[in-house]
Amino acid sequence: MNKLTIIWIALPLFVGFSIYLLPQLSRILALAVSLVSLAYGLWFVFVPEPLTLELVGSFGVSLFVDQLSGFFILTNAVVTAAVILYCWSSDKGSFFYTQAIILHGSVNSVFICADLISVYVALEVIGIAAFLLIAYPRTERSIWVGLRYLFVSNTAMLFYLLGTALVYQANHSFAFTALENAPSAAIALIFLGLLAKGGIFVSGLWLPLTHGESESPVSALLSGAVVKTGVFPLIRFALILPELDPLVRLFGVMTALFGVGFAVFAKDTKRILAFHTVSQLGFILAAPAVGGFYALTHGLVKSALFLIAGKLPSRDLKVLQKNPIPTSLWIALAIASFSISGFPLLSGFGAKVLTTKNLLPWQVIGMNIAALGTAISFAKFIFLPHARQPKDLESAASSPGTGFWLAIVLLLGGLVFSNVFYYDAYSLQNVVKPLATIGVGWLAYILVFQKLSVKLPRAAEQFDHLIGTMSLTLILLFWIVLA
Amino acid sequence: MIILEAFILATIFCGFLGIILKQNLMMKIISMDVMSTGIIGFYVLVAANPGLFAPIVVVDGTDKGTEAIAYADPVPQAVILTAIVIGFSIQALMLVAVMKLARDNPTLDCREIERSALR
Repeated sequence: MNKLTIIWIALPLFVGFSIYLLPQLSRILALAVSLVSLAYGLWFVFVPEPLTLELVGSFGVSLFVDQLSGFFILTNAVVTAAVILYCWSSDKGSFFYTQAIILHGSVNSVFICADLISVYVALEVIGIAAFLLIAYPRTERSIWVGLRYLFVSNTAMLFYLLGTALVYQANHSFAFTALENAPSAAIALIFLGLLAKGGIFVSGLWLPLTHGESESPVSALLSGAVVKTGVFPLIRFALILPELDPLVRLFGVMTALFGVGFAVFAKDTKRILAFHTVSQLGFILAAPAVGGFYALTHGLVKSALFLIAGKLPSRDLKVLQKNPIPTSLWIALAIASFSISGFPLLSGFGAKVLTTKNLLPWQVIGMNIAALGTAISFAKFIFLPHARQPKDLESAASSPGTGFWLAIVLLLGGLVFSNVFYYDAYSLQNVVKPLATIGVGWLAYILVFQKLSVKLPRAAEQFDHLIGTMSLTLILLFWIVLA
Repeated sequence: MIILEAFILATIFCGFLGIILKQNLMMKIISMDVMSTGIIGFYVLVAANPGLFAPIVVVDGTDKGTEAIAYADPVPQAVILTAIVIGFSIQALMLVAVMKLARDNPTLDCREIERSALR
């Protein structure tokens, strides 16, 4: 298994550059790499036997793979495969697939790293590859959105690097376990870097614009897999060091409420989805021990939703409410929305039940409000009008192709299939609560939120303020860690 | 040592202030470079904590190689080399993007770009 792991982690980088030499094979090679990751991820999900690897001694790279990593790798593999299927018949060049596969490989490496410097390198490679994907259309808008992302993520990583130096100074080691004896300043700086990179709480305000303005397949990759790279090391820290667990859980609850608060009032489909990603990252952090399963269901559902949103005739909810969308699209949209609201039969339900069971008492109220907010914000999609036939020829011309449906079937099929990971969830008591939440959410939507039009200010999302918010988060972190 | 550390932290702080306060995109990127230079300096300082000599054991027949010499710590130095290369490539990438943006926004004022690009 050791050799296999090393081959598997090097494969995407090797294939990524080969794609550039063999442009005819780009799509097949890219799909093959994600299928290899799929098999590797499944292996670690079903055979929960942790694997520890130390390359070139204790100062070298250390890797650690267990079931948690397995879930995250699986998410990344399925999302990448779906995005490649979605782009199959588009006119994307080999450059796109090269970047997508290098991104895939570096995301995978975050999920198996066990030392701070390897995580740093992987996160920076992710930043570069994601920038190139966002800027792929070469328009001024896309370049600016990408540049903004790269700038914020690089500044965050500089803080992370400073924290890492402090950890080394105290322990002469870069391993995750060295955080135990690290000064509190180091913990605050490293957390700031990961929170900003992962799009969590106020330092994650760069995320809605980046995910909302990118092309749909890129948004799906970013929301489904890439943001989880900031979350994953935080979960590892919480599991390795019990004293960091309350901090991670606290940020989980705050993020869940923060993201859903924006999502409820947003009127643009892709912005709702992006804000909702922020909130779901909170759910993953709120119960670190079972975060892997939640990350899997969220990755599947969110990439499906972004791909569907890209095929809708408009991004504005008001326009969509007046013009019926094709029924076939609506069915896919409704299945995904039901899963994320926690409706039984889909694995979003199992993930919600499992997370709720692992919450501490002080978290329960906050997370229930966040779940209610989720139901409200996805009622917006479920209650969209739909019609059997596309109204005119124009919408028929832009009808989704086979690649799109293959991608959606893969993602939604994954949602049904992943029920096997936690079938204990199906008891009467467990079923009633999510149904009640959805019912109350829909009622609230029909009675209040459908008519409400509140425009939340976007000032905080401006470029200048993103960096300023980072310093505020740092002060908050120092205050929590030192207290 | 403490004075050096103070200087390095001041560099990092100045770089961060530059990122926040400068309006020009080019200046922001240069400020980020200043900040990253500060962090590189910090790693070099951490590496120089135990000593300054190159950590190579010289075996020349005499007993010199086994003497206790105040060697520098090679690990942070090796690590920061990687980080320098990464930082350098990101800077290059950002400058390319700035070149593209400069065609339509010659002033490179951040707010102007944000207003015109996200219209």
